[in-house]
Amino acid sequence: VNDDNNTQTGTHDSVDLVTMILSAIADVAPELEPELADLDLDVDFWLELQLDSMDHLAVMTRLAQQTGVEIAERDYPRLTTVAALRDFLATNRN
Amino acid sequence: MRSLIAERMSTANREIPHYHLSRDVDVGALEIWLAERNEHRPITERILPAACYIRAVALAASRHRELNGFWIDDHFEPAESVNVAMAISLRRGGLVTPQIERADERTLDEVMAALGELVGAARTGNLRASWMTGATITITHLGDSGADLVHGVISPPQVALVGFGRTRERAWVIDDEVVVRPIVTTTLAADHRATDGAVGSRFLATLAQHIDHPEDLL
Repeated sequence: VNDDNNTQTGTHDSVDLVTMILSAIADVAPELEPELADLDLDVDFWLELQLDSMDHLAVMTRLAQQTGVEIAERDYPRLTTVAALRDFLATNRN
Repeated sequence: MRSLIAERMSTANREIPHYHLSRDVDVGALEIWLAERNEHRPITERILPAACYIRAVALAASRHRELNGFWIDDHFEPAESVNVAMAISLRRGGLVTPQIERADERTLDEVMAALGELVGAARTGNLRASWMTGATITITHLGDSGADLVHGVISPPQVALVGFGRTRERAWVIDDEVVVRPIVTTTLAADHRATDGAVGSRFLATLAQHIDHPEDLL
């Protein structure tokens, strides 16, 4: 898997994935919804939004189920921003 | 909600003569065991360290029954089952402590599933009333962005609260060699009317042993 720093935007696919990621966060932490609209796609949002390990697992589980992409634990350390998650899911989705 | 917690904790702090103990635990074996186990499992079946800590506390509490129960009418009443409550902070403010019933008799997978359900329900405001009563011992787990250790306040009528600080890399001595290991400081806040430091120390030693032998937690 490559493209760690690939922050390309604009295709339908990537916009849909960003929406999907933000909805997964909103599902797990509904009270954070107001903050999500202004979330910088390149910040570590787990830290920024103070999500803990249970929230982390819940968000990742939703995304894995919705996209069919296997997200291994060893991939977690680099999936800290919405942009990184989006690119990872886009690259690994069939 | 904050004021209710404030009132209960003030009462607890005033009326319960607490004693506090701590013990540093090497969680390296647990981390490796979990990583290997989770590697071969789909994301829906992966286990988090928090579930292992709940199992370890449940097993330790079932062995040291003097810490599992209630202080009622000036005497200690041991509980028949081990129901482990987990302190979960809410982002809107406040704290809830739903419990996992008979956590000592459940498998690690069952405890993980129960934990996921509790945290999800707590965060979305859907906790069931049955989860909120009957706890016999409570855990507070600060998570990896938290502090190094916690000196907790017991939730009455319980007589013990077990704390887990964040995991941090520390210099550690194994076989006369200084090595870097992932360390968690476990703490016990206990009611001095029910037990003394010797019992508490044995509890923390048993807890450390379970964390060091994660295959026992299954």
